[in-house]
Order: sequence, then C-alpha cells, then structure tokens
Amino acid sequence: MQLSLQQVMPIPLRDKLTQRPSGIWKQDLVLQPQEYVFIQAPSGTGKTTLVHILYNLREDYEGMVKWGADDIKKVSKEKLSSLRTNNISIIFQDMRLFPELTAWENLEIKRALTNTVTPQTVEDWLDRLGIKDKKNSLAHTLSYGEQQRVSIIRALLQPFSWLLMDEPFSHLDKANTQKACTLIKEVVTANNAGLLLADLDEPHDFPYTKTILL
Amino acid sequence: MNREHVALLRKLLLSSNKKSRLGAALLALCIGTTLLLLSVMIWWNFNELLHGKSDTDSLGSTFLTISKRVTDDNMGKPGATIFTPQEIEDITKAPQVQDAGMLISNHFPVYASLNDKLGFATEMFLEAVPDRFIDKKPDGWNWQPGNTQVPVILSSEFLNLYNYGFALSRGLPQLSQSTVKTISLDLKISYGNTAQHYAAHVTGFSDRISSVLVPESFITYGNKVYGDNAPSTPSRLILKVQDASSKQFTDYLAQHDYVTNNEQLRWSKVRAIVAVVSAATGVLAILLMGIGALVFILFIELTISKAQQSLTLLLQLGVSPRYLSRFMLRRFLPMVLTMVGLSMCIAIATQAGASYWAQGQNLQLTLLPGWPVWAAMGVSVLFLVGLVRRSVVGAIER
Repeated sequence: MQLSLQQVMPIPLRDKLTQRPSGIWKQDLVLQPQEYVFIQAPSGTGKTTLVHILYNLREDYEGMVKWGADDIKKVSKEKLSSLRTNNISIIFQDMRLFPELTAWENLEIKRALTNTVTPQTVEDWLDRLGIKDKKNSLAHTLSYGEQQRVSIIRALLQPFSWLLMDEPFSHLDKANTQKACTLIKEVVTANNAGLLLADLDEPHDFPYTKTILL
Repeated sequence: MNREHVALLRKLLLSSNKKSRLGAALLALCIGTTLLLLSVMIWWNFNELLHGKSDTDSLGSTFLTISKRVTDDNMGKPGATIFTPQEIEDITKAPQVQDAGMLISNHFPVYASLNDKLGFATEMFLEAVPDRFIDKKPDGWNWQPGNTQVPVILSSEFLNLYNYGFALSRGLPQLSQSTVKTISLDLKISYGNTAQHYAAHVTGFSDRISSVLVPESFITYGNKVYGDNAPSTPSRLILKVQDASSKQFTDYLAQHDYVTNNEQLRWSKVRAIVAVVSAATGVLAILLMGIGALVFILFIELTISKAQQSLTLLLQLGVSPRYLSRFMLRRFLPMVLTMVGLSMCIAIATQAGASYWAQGQNLQLTLLPGWPVWAAMGVSVLFLVGLVRRSVVGAIER
C-alpha cells in the first residue's frame, strides 16, 4: 500500500512551520510499499503531529493524505478500523498501554483481533526483549523502558504493510534498542512491509531507502 | 473474538460500574415499566367491564328500569303509561343508552298456589325481559311449549319484603334463598272454561329487576294462547346505560317525564370518578417510565464516559466501533429485556389476582392481561431498546 501526502500542513503549527524548509510540510510526497523511511525531525518540527496525521488520529490539517487510493479523511470508521487492524500499525511515542491490564493482557487484546501471531511467539518475543518476567505485571507498574518494549511487541501482533514509529526507542539503552530493531526488521520483512521512523536525529540500525528532513 | 478477549473488554469498559448504582437504575426502570403496564391493565380491565358483553353484571354499564310517571292527570287513563313503539325507538337513540328492552307482562290471568295444605294462594303477575338484561341467568333458564315446568327469577327485594316485613309481622318462618328454590308453586292459568297448570320453580334472584320474571318465550306463548294476543305494550323498559350520571341522560329522562331509580344514578357518579383516576394514573405511569428510562440511559452514558479513555485507545488499536457497540449492547439490552419481562410477570400475576377477586364480586375479568397490555409491553421494549441502542451507538460510533 502506497502512502502519499499532498501539500499537508497542520493548521495549529502553520505559522511556525512555514518559516523553515521541510521535506514534508507543503510538499507532495509518495512513500512506496516496502520502503524504509527515516524522518529526521528536530524538536518542535511536528514529528508526532506527522505520525498522528499519517495514522489518521487527527484531521486538523490542510492538504490530503492517502492510504492507497483512499483519502483518509473520507474513510468510514469501520474501514478505518479494518485498515488499522490489517494494513497499518503504530508504535506511539507515549506507549499508550492500558494501565489496568497486565503486560500480557495488553498484548492479548491486540493479538486476538487478527490471531495471526501465536501466544507462543508472543512469549518468545517477550523473552527476546528481556521482559518475559514482567508479563503478569500491571502496565502502570512497569518502567518506561519496559512499557516501550511491550508497546513495540504490540505493534507487531497484526498483519501490516506499513509500520509507523514515533521515537520508539527513546527509553531504551543501546543493547535493548538493538534487540528491538532486530525483532522489528524480522517482522517487517516477514510482512513484506515498509516502515517509517520519526526520531530526533538517531537513525538506528535500519536499511533506509529514504531519509527526509521534517 | 474469544472469551478471554471479551473478559478483557469487560475489565476495561465495565469495571467502573458500581453494582448498587446499576441496581438502582434497573429498579427505577422496572418500577416505571411495571406501573405503565399496570395502568394500561387497569384502564383495559375497566374498559372491559364498562363495555363487557357478558351476562353477568358489568360495573361500567348501569341497568335502569324506566317507566312513565303516574300523575293525577294520567291515572285512570288506560294506556297512558304505555310506551309507544316510536318512544321506544327514540329511547334507544337517547344519549348514553346502549341497549333497551321491554318488560312484557302477562295478558292472561295467573293464579299461584303454594300448596293446598299450606293454603297459600294469590293472583299474581309475570313479566319477561330479553335474556341479555338478566344479571344472573340461572341454569335451565328456558321454556318451550309443552314444558310443564316454568323457571322463575324473583326479585331479591320481594324476598326481603317477605322476610323482614310480612313473615315477622305474621309470625311466619323466614326463608333463605336456597329454601325458596326448593319450593314448587302451582301456576293455574284459566282461559275459557278450562285451566292449565304449570309447576313454577324459583331458579334465581335478581337485584336488577323488581319483578317476577319468567322466560320471554313463556309470556309470548301465554299471551298468544291464553290471552288476547294483543301486541306487546310495555309500561316499563329496561335500559343499559353507559353513564347514568351523564347530564344529557338525566336531562332526557326529566324532559320526557320518565322515572327511574335514583340510587343507581348515584353509583354511576362513583364510576365516573374512578375513570378519571384511572386516566390520571396512566399519565403518571408514563412519566415514571420516562424517568426510569432516563435514569438507566444516564447510567449507560456514565459507564461509557468513565471508560472513554479505554474506548478511544481500543479504537486507535483497530477494534471496530460496531464490535464495541455490540459488546456494550450485549451487556445492557438483556438487562432491559429482563426488567420488562419482570414487569410483565408482575402484570400477569396482578391480572390473575384481579380476575380471581373479580369473580368473588360477580364481575368477569380475563385470567391473562388483555391485548393492550401486551401491546404496551411491545412498545416499551421497542422504546427502551431503541433508546439504549441510540445512546450506546451514539457514544461509541459518533
């Protein structure tokens, strides 16, 4: 699935963003399937805004964003949920776990939507990212680093053609970031998907096909 | 979705529910619905009694016997107090009058003797009314030419006059209704030089008609065979009146100088008051049902609002809004249906109780609630399901 942006400009940030050059705002941009895109975004340039616009979490922007042929502002709620379940996945900067559920339950609620990943695989991934012992801990008792790893695994528990990531490793040390990158690459490859990572300036260990300054 | 997933959703979306609050909301809904069904039931039962076609007495309709007033002017003038066919026709069209029947009397001499040994004998009169006007039609209330047995319905007032007036003053034994029913009277009808004998049995007592009633067929036959075969000329009419206290009706009687029993008119006023009270209860019940429904809807909206953060995240993760709506409806709709079901059970039980009670009062009510109660239940279900659906879908899929 192709992602395309046509002359997109977030309305609340318009005054600020028009004063500096950008490879995305007010540009026409097409991201081809299976591309690895790094969005290099200094603080305050609208990194999270971009990821949220691409994931259709906000509509306060000018221009048009398309998932394939669909203008995402015009997609019905049901279709949107179907696309989010089967075509596009996300790792939020602020993790967004259910605090009253355990780590395992947070993963299960996503996994059961499509049932494309087995519970055993989830166990393996928890083990690989070093949080297997935390699987029955309530999310709000986990450290930010642990929450971030749960959030990464959750994003991988569905079929997708694009994985959007917003500073996905901000709370992880190098060793854990490396482990997470490896897992992500494996799953993205297995899904034959593309990925888009927005971060300050650290590109991490991905074979990017495109780097864009926000 | 598997059971574990549903359990997780329940934990996320419904765990903030306080059981006491839910209980109070459901109670309000149940009370509102029950009152609505009961008020429809009261209204319908009342209506049934009012317009009932049953043989037994019906509370709503009043039966009156009317006659022309005997005045100094018309006394002694034969036929002056007789109703003409035009007058009868006019009365059937009078306000509030639902039915009118003639009280036909015998045009042949009747001589009744109780028993030769007792030496009780009297000349007497007989009357007949159409069967539909008889309040308590006894078994075997019919007569055909050739039958020598004649059933008789006696006015309860006559027996009271005998027991508390005649018997006491003459030192005669008082008689119970059942004893009177065992006595056989010999009716002697003389015509020409011969006489025909019939055995008359009192088979019932009437509170409604002050007369000695025999089957209509007997009077018709007697008048034709033993009498002058003149057309029936009634001096009294029996009327079935919807509301005898209605001003138009009493005005009509006064205008035509017809007289009747005022006591019955007073009873009718009570009935009119009951009708107003029943209507007021209905309005109150609709209000209460509305409040009950409102409390329940507010409870649902509060639940959804408390779970808003989880709902938003679930939608962001790709859970279908329709699926979430269905999940919520599966939680709340069975509660609504159970409450309406419970209200209906209460209505059914109340109706059965009312029917049993009414039998004791000589009134007829069906054992199961009438169709308007079922219709009200159906409308309540549609209304509540629609309201809950709208509230849930509106909150989740908007």
